[in-house]
Amino acid sequence: MTARQGVLAAVLGAVALALAGCGGADSSAESGGRVVSVALTDAGCSPAQLQLAAGPVTFEVKNEGAEAVSEFEILDGDRIVGEVENIAPGLSGKFSLTLSPKEYTTYCPGGDSAERGTLTVAGKEAGQASSRSRAAIDAYRTFVTGQTALLVERTRRFVAAVRAGDVATAKSLYAPARIPYERIEPVAESFGDLDPAIDARAGDVPAAQWTGFHPIEQALWVRKTTDGTSALASKLLADVRALERRAKTIELEPAQIANGSVELLGEVSKSKITGEEERYSHIDLVDFEGNVDGAQAAFKAVRPILAESNPALAGEIDERFAAVDEALAPYRRGQGFVSYTELDATDTRALSRAIDALAEPLSRVGAIVVAAK
Amino acid sequence: MSDQSPRFSRARLLVAGAAGAGLAVGGIGLERLAASDTGRSRRIPFHGAHQAGIATPAQDRLHFAAFDVTTDDRRELRDLLRAWTAAAAEMCEGRTVGGATDPLAPPVDTGEALGLEPARLTITFGFGPTLFGDRFGLGPRPAQLADLPLFAGDELDPERSGGDLAVQACADDPQVAFHAVRNLARIGRGIVVMRWSQLGFGRTSSTSRAQDTPRNLMGFKDGTNNLKLEDEQGLAQHVWAGPADDPKWMRGGTYLVTRRIRMLIEVWDRASLADQEATIGREKVDGAPLGGRHEHDEVDLTARTEAGEPLIPADAHIRLAAPKVNDGIRILRRGYSFTDGMDNELGQLDAGLFFICYQRDPRRQFVPLQRRLAQDDALNEYIKHTGSAVFACPPGTAPGGYIGSTLV
Repeated sequence: MTARQGVLAAVLGAVALALAGCGGADSSAESGGRVVSVALTDAGCSPAQLQLAAGPVTFEVKNEGAEAVSEFEILDGDRIVGEVENIAPGLSGKFSLTLSPKEYTTYCPGGDSAERGTLTVAGKEAGQASSRSRAAIDAYRTFVTGQTALLVERTRRFVAAVRAGDVATAKSLYAPARIPYERIEPVAESFGDLDPAIDARAGDVPAAQWTGFHPIEQALWVRKTTDGTSALASKLLADVRALERRAKTIELEPAQIANGSVELLGEVSKSKITGEEERYSHIDLVDFEGNVDGAQAAFKAVRPILAESNPALAGEIDERFAAVDEALAPYRRGQGFVSYTELDATDTRALSRAIDALAEPLSRVGAIVVAAK
Repeated sequence: MSDQSPRFSRARLLVAGAAGAGLAVGGIGLERLAASDTGRSRRIPFHGAHQAGIATPAQDRLHFAAFDVTTDDRRELRDLLRAWTAAAAEMCEGRTVGGATDPLAPPVDTGEALGLEPARLTITFGFGPTLFGDRFGLGPRPAQLADLPLFAGDELDPERSGGDLAVQACADDPQVAFHAVRNLARIGRGIVVMRWSQLGFGRTSSTSRAQDTPRNLMGFKDGTNNLKLEDEQGLAQHVWAGPADDPKWMRGGTYLVTRRIRMLIEVWDRASLADQEATIGREKVDGAPLGGRHEHDEVDLTARTEAGEPLIPADAHIRLAAPKVNDGIRILRRGYSFTDGMDNELGQLDAGLFFICYQRDPRRQFVPLQRRLAQDDALNEYIKHTGSAVFACPPGTAPGGYIGSTLV
């Protein structure tokens, strides 16, 4: 569970939506988009009426001396789909997005006669995925559906043991149930309410709303009982079933898949390698591997796209996944891992650095697979 | 990013003001600012026969980092040195690393130096003893790069000592120095890991006659008799590996010794002024050597009190460190005051001097000097050496080359 829903929402909301102002000089050309110039004037947006064809486009916004206007937004209804801010007189900025055929509103707050304008987009929906993109999307969806099915199956068994009051069996079934969840964590996070319901840790949510795996973990390992967990167990099973249903409809673009893999490694750095995730059972290394497996599956889905344009980077990432696996190897015990409590600072530092070394090149993949589309 | 990408000057962004600050690394169509010679916009050229950051005027701030190499592939090491050199040259010019960024990718430059002046940033690279031998086929380590002996009273922490590679980033703005180390660490991820790192907040040496002598955390002027960059003959004699020195690849380079010297601040602060002055051998306020009147007065080691005692005590720091009693040995000191906050074990300030010195051969310069100091210096009552490292800093490079090209 993380508080990064905002980041994820941005990624899921609009694949080609660029972060305002970050546009490199040649990035739009790389992405194959057109460039449209817009000026900020005392009146507001200039021109106030725009007609464009659907597809990717980069807006270059220049302030031609308007003191009261410093911002350009494109709205779809109430939702901002692209914007650039803080464009003082003489400055310019840019952003990119993919336009769908519909009517958008342009908004230049502070303008006196053209504060709002219209952007009419005609043509066919852009972003028809290439066959390689299609293959990546399908491969990752197959992975996600497989993992959610596994999650439901294993959670069902875990919940059955909890309900039967069998502490020992419940404890042995806890880690296996966590693994598929950790592999697809960013997908679960994309459904805002489900991730906190399933995976919140104590303190992440108000105590009265604390549900999911972790209060049961606390009961099993700290209080050493299943007493009082029956309702929690039922809700957990219902929530993972809801996740399974909703995941079936998910459509992730290759860039989102690639960024999801980076997020999974962020999860490792933030809560697994610190021992914060499984603070009662200390099975953090199990989650660690789950996150890495999930990142690798996501990477494998987009790898063919990457390999075409940048085989060296693809090879480097392969090697670094292997290095992470190697770094984990000394801690494997049978099907699982040593308890987190057995790690010292030297161990966690080595693991953390292996993750950093992998995540750095992996973080470049999203932009490359977009450009290659 | 391609070499044709527009480059953005941090300095120009500052001029553009707050409006520009809200924007990210790429995508802002701004030209570079014309060079200026005033204040923090001053630059120190990265390229040259010697690396910058040694015999260039000491800046106010330091971020030093030692790295260990995790690859065993010599090509990867060479590629890293190339990438580091290119990034360092950009940063020292006040530019962002790597040019424009694709909006869907993480920014190439981390961005915290946008809008900041170059601040006389210098980045100096060194090779540690552990880099040599069979590991990368780099040949034997230079004899000058011998391990330092254990000195009396050393309490060295291995986690603050040694390292395969050194990066010394100095600037007048701490954020500029931090930005340099952070971006180099990022570029090196997967090839190197940081072994230890030290921030320094105030220079304790002057390396130019144009600079005032600063005070260290004991409140004394330090480094009055340091080698100065104007003294080219002195530098050639004491600092730079000469045209006949071996190994060949080090000619024009120099050897770096770092020592993390913790000051026992609480104990020092309880010492009387007379004791403090006798310990150092100088007057605290004006910096004059005991028996002298002005800071730069010659240190008279023979002067005696009316009672016949040496005016500068036998165990005073400046006596033991003076070239006169050390066969004329001199080193170029370039240290910084540091604090790492509080020592959790003792609840005392963890602060002191991060001692940095450059020389032609540590075996004949730093080692005999330190041996004498470690044995007899009255200052030892108030200090503890907690970290130690030695590096070979190769010569500088011309544009298009890279630091270490003479070796790797």
